[in-house]
Amino acid sequence: MILKPRLEDIKNIGYYLGKVIIALGFTMFIPILMGICAGEINPVLDFVIGLQVTFISGILLTRVCFTGKELNWMQGMIVVSLSWVAAMALGAIPLHLSGHWNSYLDACFDAMSGFATTGLALVQDLDHLSYAHNLWRHLIMFIGGQGIVIVALSFFVRGFSGAFKMYVGEARDERIQPNVVHTARFIWLVSILYLVLGTIALGAAGMLGGMRPFNAFFHGACIFMAAFDTGGFTPHSQSVLYYHSLPFEILTIIFMILGAINFRLHYHIWNGNRREVVKNIETVFFFVVATAIFFIVCAGLAQTNLYVNAPTLFRKGFYQLISAQTGTGYQTIYAAQFSNEWNHLSLVALILAMSLGGAVCSTTGAIKMLRLGIVYKALTQDIKRIILPEKAIVVKRYHHIKEVFLEDDVARSALAITISYIIVYLAGAFVGMFFGYPFLHSLFESTSAAANVGLSCGITKTTMPWLLKITYMIQMWAGRLEFMSVFTLIGFFVAAIKGKR
Amino acid sequence: MNKKTLYNIALGISTEVLYACAIMATAFFICLLFSLKK
Repeated sequence: MILKPRLEDIKNIGYYLGKVIIALGFTMFIPILMGICAGEINPVLDFVIGLQVTFISGILLTRVCFTGKELNWMQGMIVVSLSWVAAMALGAIPLHLSGHWNSYLDACFDAMSGFATTGLALVQDLDHLSYAHNLWRHLIMFIGGQGIVIVALSFFVRGFSGAFKMYVGEARDERIQPNVVHTARFIWLVSILYLVLGTIALGAAGMLGGMRPFNAFFHGACIFMAAFDTGGFTPHSQSVLYYHSLPFEILTIIFMILGAINFRLHYHIWNGNRREVVKNIETVFFFVVATAIFFIVCAGLAQTNLYVNAPTLFRKGFYQLISAQTGTGYQTIYAAQFSNEWNHLSLVALILAMSLGGAVCSTTGAIKMLRLGIVYKALTQDIKRIILPEKAIVVKRYHHIKEVFLEDDVARSALAITISYIIVYLAGAFVGMFFGYPFLHSLFESTSAAANVGLSCGITKTTMPWLLKITYMIQMWAGRLEFMSVFTLIGFFVAAIKGKR
Repeated sequence: MNKKTLYNIALGISTEVLYACAIMATAFFICLLFSLKK
């Protein structure tokens, strides 16, 4: 029997949602500061308006819904799913006010794409966007990659049991440290340390390429944030192709791969357990899968005679592959080249790479390597059970920080999430085909959205149907949160309508 | 943070960057194979 939600459930959800919104509001001070330094008055005003709306919303919610209670699992999941919707709606306000988005819906699309670290964009005249707005686009990617709730957990949420429920709701169930607030702060430590190193490296590469120092380091910071958080926004419209720089491409490949590593693995490697990088099921599978899929991409590209020498094949073929696999979405070719020049074999290989993704508890989306490894081990275990004598006991293990025995419920959970992702990829493809796009391109774009990749073969543009925009927004949201929080929210609304008191 | 922690972090970052470079090197080797095949 489904019970109707009570007023205290709604108040508890509202209170913690308000706290997350207030935390989001504080992050808007950063683009305001940028705008003041760059002398951009109108963009600063856009953010001041956005900031006021955010703070008013957050403070109202916390005052009206004040409660002294801890979150339970259902409430935690709903706070997370609603936080992302609120972040999208509030984060889109300064974007829409800039005039670079055709409608508030387009601004919401880009805001969700930013927070979900996807990278699909509907922005107009990106090359003339203000520094403040450009920084905000990349900052929301940085925040979204770490997790909106992580921001709140690091600084605002009191009490630990409710904190963990929100942490899990944001598709992070790896306990890096026993205390979830310390876990959140460790995630920030890794990100900030790499941000400093990455900005310096990319800034230097930019200056070597002839950029002025301020621009070089501004672009360096923006590109790093979107690469490490496997987001894919760039300050200019041609993605990484704008820079025509091999050092930029090499550095972004490194940062994309670093972003696709499990934060728990970062913790153990940084604490001296360096052999984990060659023993861990995720790093091993990522290496093997990326290599195998790249082989297929090369086989496809060889048929077209598109990139005839090794360096070009690396910069155009491998770059797109690693961008797809890590879920970043950076491109060194134009979107139309996917449709017009790449053949079906290489496109399908790229779709496969996008659908699989990087590590769990990293900044990537998609099915992820741990689940792929678990499904593979479960399959080989079942095959061995059939082949070996009936009385033989087959025990499968895998190495993930420590040796773990493969249990049926773990395999079942991995398979359930894998199937959910495949259903979402196909559902988005059907919607794309409904609007007349070819199957392969619809599947490409749908997988890109749901796996939070951001590569585009040309479907994502301002003229696409509004229903398709909303479909991709829902896919980005559900994919980022790995469905559980979203399903819990849907269940909550069903219970509110059909539940019994 | 003490010296040992900083040392471990530096080595950890180097290890992770080496892992990324290993993936790139393998990919470049595949690119060489396909370019020589022609």
